[in-house]
Amino acid sequence: MKSVFLAGLALVLSNSVAFADTIKIGVVGPFSGPAALQGKNFQAGINAWLAVNGNTIGDDTIEVIYRDLPAPDPAQSAALTQELIVSEGVQYLAGYYYTPDAMAAAPILEEGNVPMVVFNAATSAIVNASPYVVRTSFTTWQTSTPMAAVAHDRGIKKIITVVSDYGPGIDSETAFVTGFTAAGGEIVESVRMPMNTNDFSPMMQRIKDSGAEAVFAFLPAGPATLGFVQAYVENGLKDAGVTLLAPGDLTQEPDLAALGDNALGLLTTFHYAVSHDSPENAAFVASATKAIGSASELSFPAVGAYDGMYVISKMIEATGGNQDAAAAVEAVKGLSWISPRGPVSINPENRHITQNIYLREVAFEDGQYINKEIQTFENQVDPGWKAP
Amino acid sequence: MSRPIRDLIAVLVLAAVAVVLFFLFPTNLALLTRIVAVMLLVLSLDLVTGFAGVATLGHAALFGAGAYAAGIAAAKFGITDPLLMLAIGAVAGSVAGALSSLVILRGHGLSQLVLSIAVVQLAHEAANKLSAWTGGSDGLSGIAPSALLGMFRFDLFGRTAFIMAVVMLLLVFVILRVVVRSPFGMLCRGIKQDPTRVRAMGAPVYSTLVKMYAIAGAVAGLGGALSAIATKVVGLDSLSFNLSAEALVMLVLGGTGKLFGAMLGALVFVWFEDRISAINPFHWLTVVGVLLVAVVLFAPNGLTGAAEAIWKRLRRARS
Repeated sequence: MKSVFLAGLALVLSNSVAFADTIKIGVVGPFSGPAALQGKNFQAGINAWLAVNGNTIGDDTIEVIYRDLPAPDPAQSAALTQELIVSEGVQYLAGYYYTPDAMAAAPILEEGNVPMVVFNAATSAIVNASPYVVRTSFTTWQTSTPMAAVAHDRGIKKIITVVSDYGPGIDSETAFVTGFTAAGGEIVESVRMPMNTNDFSPMMQRIKDSGAEAVFAFLPAGPATLGFVQAYVENGLKDAGVTLLAPGDLTQEPDLAALGDNALGLLTTFHYAVSHDSPENAAFVASATKAIGSASELSFPAVGAYDGMYVISKMIEATGGNQDAAAAVEAVKGLSWISPRGPVSINPENRHITQNIYLREVAFEDGQYINKEIQTFENQVDPGWKAP
Repeated sequence: MSRPIRDLIAVLVLAAVAVVLFFLFPTNLALLTRIVAVMLLVLSLDLVTGFAGVATLGHAALFGAGAYAAGIAAAKFGITDPLLMLAIGAVAGSVAGALSSLVILRGHGLSQLVLSIAVVQLAHEAANKLSAWTGGSDGLSGIAPSALLGMFRFDLFGRTAFIMAVVMLLLVFVILRVVVRSPFGMLCRGIKQDPTRVRAMGAPVYSTLVKMYAIAGAVAGLGGALSAIATKVVGLDSLSFNLSAEALVMLVLGGTGKLFGAMLGALVFVWFEDRISAINPFHWLTVVGVLLVAVVLFAPNGLTGAAEAIWKRLRRARS
């Protein structure tokens, strides 16, 4: 009887040891609904990283657990995050497409002893919500600010800003206006459009009437950008020489084919273009395309996820697979590496990624529309971040 | 059985279910707390739709009013006592209910439905615009509720939040049982069946419904405040048309005009959605859609309606 008990105990113990060797990563993102493409890109980035680097780190095996959050819903985000921590026993949290969802997950990280690597959510303040937040995407401030220098360098004096009326749009407007007025430019008007605007012709008339030489626009990646760019061309603004400047959300790669010739020559600033010319990116694009199934669907969230997986792998290495969020986060502060997007590092002060921001022009090359990089702003930190 | 005894049994059954869930799913308490918050919203909707016959697709406005009021009180004014936050949420929901009913009750049938959608859209846009107060689309964060009664911290497993939520739900349930059976509740049912007749009897229709809306608003506001306390972030989704429509689906699923129906509908819908989406995070919406169609086709009176029909048939078979 005793031996049976001991054998049973040994079995339980060996099982629990084997169990500890599997490190679970919980990924929360939009895998269904209107933003499913972005969630698919999370998954493609993760799978691409696993395909290149394998799913073992030291003796430990990585297991990824997905949870779907189709739209901004902080209550559900908090419930999913809590369930991933206490029920699934994840050691790392990752993903988070929308800001409110990341904000809702942040308060439980410290008690759960779990670091969170944000793959997308782009509001500067997220890193302040918990010391265990690391971000490998970008902020809207980071991608919008260099455009002010671009406009100034091109001798543009008067600009009208047009943004979608929600958090990122307002961030983008503030970032650009701050940079452009500091450089001595004049903002003739700032317009905020309701989120569900579909008819942009009146807006184009307003831009014409404002007498601005250029328009700075922010719209979330997706269907609205198509209507906006079409209205810009059809209302004769492009022919009249009114330059359209925007962060790269406006010309994300999966939308380029639909934008077509209307977008040719459009100037955008962003942290990643699928066409970025480097061996690291060529390898990434090859394996991410395989993971997502179609080259035309690959977009920026994939690179955030790919680099996020790299950061998590470094955290696992540093802690030897033990659950120690503080040590894990400490280990990646100041970490620098060559990402598919170029050289990047984790700013030790705010745990946000420092990276190059590129000025790109939409071009037609080798039978497809691309965001062609024409100028580089090196080592850009997040200008929107304020110490708490 | 006399009414107080039946009420007592109902409360005991609910409490027993909560205790069983507490011990059966110790790692899902955050989800269960969220379900209680949604239950309060659906109960509130049941009051105006199921009991008083007001058609509305904008009920989340009251839920959101409670959530934002409690959230702003905590994040901007430092009122972090959870019970006080709940009270603030209930008052805000009640005020929002009374005010919005002044508009919604002007219409009838389809026009009423359209007005209710307008109300929730306006509330949504207002919260988006007033981002200095509400955080806009980034959500209102920085809500840090202090320990309940100064003793019980809101822990990672969500035990405190769940127990608080269940106690509150039971209290609301008992009060609502009294309300719907009171002469006032009967008057509301009468208005649902035939407002002209109630008016001919000399009873006020408009002001009765406004009062009902104020009561329903308090219940929804409590739900919103609970969500703000448990989540610590309030997002624009709490004021959305989407949530309003989902609440209506849950009510129909559970069965309208019954307090148990509202609670059952919320429990089944949210729980089911969560489980299915965990099993297949990529294609779960299809499954949920198909099952909803099936329920509406085969149990048009909701789950409680179907259960009642089966119960009656069984009794007839026995006698």
